[in-house]
Amino acid sequence: MNQAYWKWEHVRTWLLWLTLPLVIGILAAAVIPQPVVGIIRLDDAIYSSTARSMIAQINYAIDHPEIRAVVLAFDSPGGTVVDTEAVYMELSRLRAKKPVVTAVNGMAASGAYYLSANTDYIYAKPTSLVGNIGVIGYLPPTPFIYEEIISTGPYKLFGAPRDSDMRQIDMIKEGFFQAVKLGRGDRIKIGLEEILSGQIWIGTEAVRIGIADELGTETDAFNKAAELARVAHFKTIDLRNLAETSISPYPFFLQSPDGVNLPYPTESGMYMLFIPQLPIKQ
Amino acid sequence: MKKNMLWIALAALIIPAFARGLWFYRGIPNQPKISTPDYQSLTISQPPLETQSVDENIKQTSGVVLFDLAHSNQYQASEIQFLKEEIEKRGGKVESITDIPSLSYKLKYASTYVVISPANTFSGEESKIVQDFVNRGGRLLVFADATRGVVYFDSFSGSAVNYSDASSVNPLLSLFGITVNNDYLYNVEKNEGNFRNVFFEDFGKNELTFGLKQVALYGTHSVKSPSGLTLLRGTESTLSSINDAHDPAEGGAVLSMNGNVLAFGDFTFLTFPYHNVADNATLIANIADFALGGNQTISLENFPYIFTQSIVQIYPSTEVQLTAETIAAISDLQSSLIKVGMAIQIVDEAPREGDTLILGTFTTIDELLKFTDTFHIELNEASETITVKNFGKIGRAGNGLVLFEKSKKGNRLTLLANNPEDVLSLLNTITSGSLSNCVLQNDIGVCSVGFGGSFSEDAGAATQEPINGDATPKPDSEATPTPGG
Repeated sequence: MNQAYWKWEHVRTWLLWLTLPLVIGILAAAVIPQPVVGIIRLDDAIYSSTARSMIAQINYAIDHPEIRAVVLAFDSPGGTVVDTEAVYMELSRLRAKKPVVTAVNGMAASGAYYLSANTDYIYAKPTSLVGNIGVIGYLPPTPFIYEEIISTGPYKLFGAPRDSDMRQIDMIKEGFFQAVKLGRGDRIKIGLEEILSGQIWIGTEAVRIGIADELGTETDAFNKAAELARVAHFKTIDLRNLAETSISPYPFFLQSPDGVNLPYPTESGMYMLFIPQLPIKQ
Repeated sequence: MKKNMLWIALAALIIPAFARGLWFYRGIPNQPKISTPDYQSLTISQPPLETQSVDENIKQTSGVVLFDLAHSNQYQASEIQFLKEEIEKRGGKVESITDIPSLSYKLKYASTYVVISPANTFSGEESKIVQDFVNRGGRLLVFADATRGVVYFDSFSGSAVNYSDASSVNPLLSLFGITVNNDYLYNVEKNEGNFRNVFFEDFGKNELTFGLKQVALYGTHSVKSPSGLTLLRGTESTLSSINDAHDPAEGGAVLSMNGNVLAFGDFTFLTFPYHNVADNATLIANIADFALGGNQTISLENFPYIFTQSIVQIYPSTEVQLTAETIAAISDLQSSLIKVGMAIQIVDEAPREGDTLILGTFTTIDELLKFTDTFHIELNEASETITVKNFGKIGRAGNGLVLFEKSKKGNRLTLLANNPEDVLSLLNTITSGSLSNCVLQNDIGVCSVGFGGSFSEDAGAATQEPINGDATPKPDSEATPTPGG
């Protein structure tokens, strides 16, 4: 009996001192979340609605500690200056806390590249289109008056003198250039002249000249983001689903009468936008 | 024993969390320094404004500067305001030409012909007229502009076509060894508010660049003239849009080898507010000086602008009676001259000075010897011919002679023919302004006036009417042959 008692005591001791803490430890460990690498996709131009959606996703990523890094996946020609800047500034808040990696799919042109420059690493496909650094704007007409419209100043109707508009556009370009310089630093291997030429490069060239870091896929971008965040065995999440954002239908691009999207915005203004020319003969 | 168990329990409690943590988390990520642009420090660039004092002692001169409006030129009258003011400050007058047929006529008295961004090409015939004008000492000033091409829809190909004004001006400029490239110059490193607004600080040595330290052009084509002088040369970072390269032989403006043709790749620098940036105002003033510096050699082709005074004295020799036909022919001449600000005065004595028109027959050549002496004309009574230097023998019947002589005392035109009827026919030919049935060599013209005393039927039919209301300034005796008024 003593032997049987001893055995039971032995088991009970083990249960008490090992198994129970182990079970509790395992249960407690489950509280430690699996790291998440979120993805924010932009498959459109950058305008009020898409910018709001991106900012909501960025804020979600900032607010949720399980999201350890973010991948920005671009297929975008850029967009309005102010919306691009809005996303850029929020992106800086995110980057201060979590690594952000860019995966260029079809295109990260102009404003989209402005955002890419504010990430830790840029992947591009061999023939992704990258660059087009610069600003484009439509100058207002020389002021004139209408019989039926009364305004209180010559530029009330037109916004600004043409010359001021031109100079403002150049100032905005300077901000863009600074963003690229600060974001890419020594990685850029070409001169000011080429950067500001507004050229758009394919992925292989973009890597060669240092405006992108490496050729790679979205998977590579996830892995890089995880590596920078020092996490493994992560799961990926499309932040658009979590941040409960929706993109309201907005006719950013002009449409031809037969419903085809043209590359031109519907409204005049200042853009960080790649506008491929329709065929023009010289 | 119990102490050991305690350790085991603790380990059992921690290890799962530790293992899971290690499974997922491999360290603390590096926090990169995030730098963003200092937006507040960005400022809107301001153009360098003209700082030089205005020269109040502007040399007064004269001349007519003719602006082309006959080639769908892409500019508004208000855009040439500053250049026009500079021309007028110097005593010059500005006219425009809106129809091609009057080109040859107006170039007879113009000092400079100005062509700004034409959308229509100069034809071979027009180019020839302008070339003759330049060869006579007139000046040609061409402003192309890279921002003023015409985009139109080609219904055949279904695409938009950008027609550059370079294509329109090159047929004309090529006659003077100048080419405007179908490109634009840009500089992304140093510019005037935008990459396409280019500064020029290196100048070809010429009066046109006198007093210039910096000039800004706004969307300029590159212009080149291998035989001429590049006036505005860009820096090495000034590139052409054709090849994104710098070509020191190309610039924003060139002057032809003979110094009479000036071509700019830009027009915008003449307009508000760019006319006052850097030394652009000085350049515009220099251009005005250039435009009034044209000095056409007066020749028969300039008729009626071969006269420089307000009154033309007409002296009919003894054989030319003031018949009804004569009065009618002189009346036509008077109408023509009045429209360009000149009057006529019939005199009965051969004038010694002043602008003069002499009407005579070959038989009165001895009477008119003092007027014809310098032309070495010999009358051959036997062979019914006359011998004219450089022409040889010319039949008297049906031919007329036009002799032009310039002097400080006045210019003289002498018309000689076989009989009074032929003299009137010759006068009608001259009045028409068209010397197409004349052979001209220097200051002598031999004109067909019909056959033995008959009037040319179409004489006067193709009369080139002077354009009403055109300003025709009174020139000084050495300047462009514009009649006084």
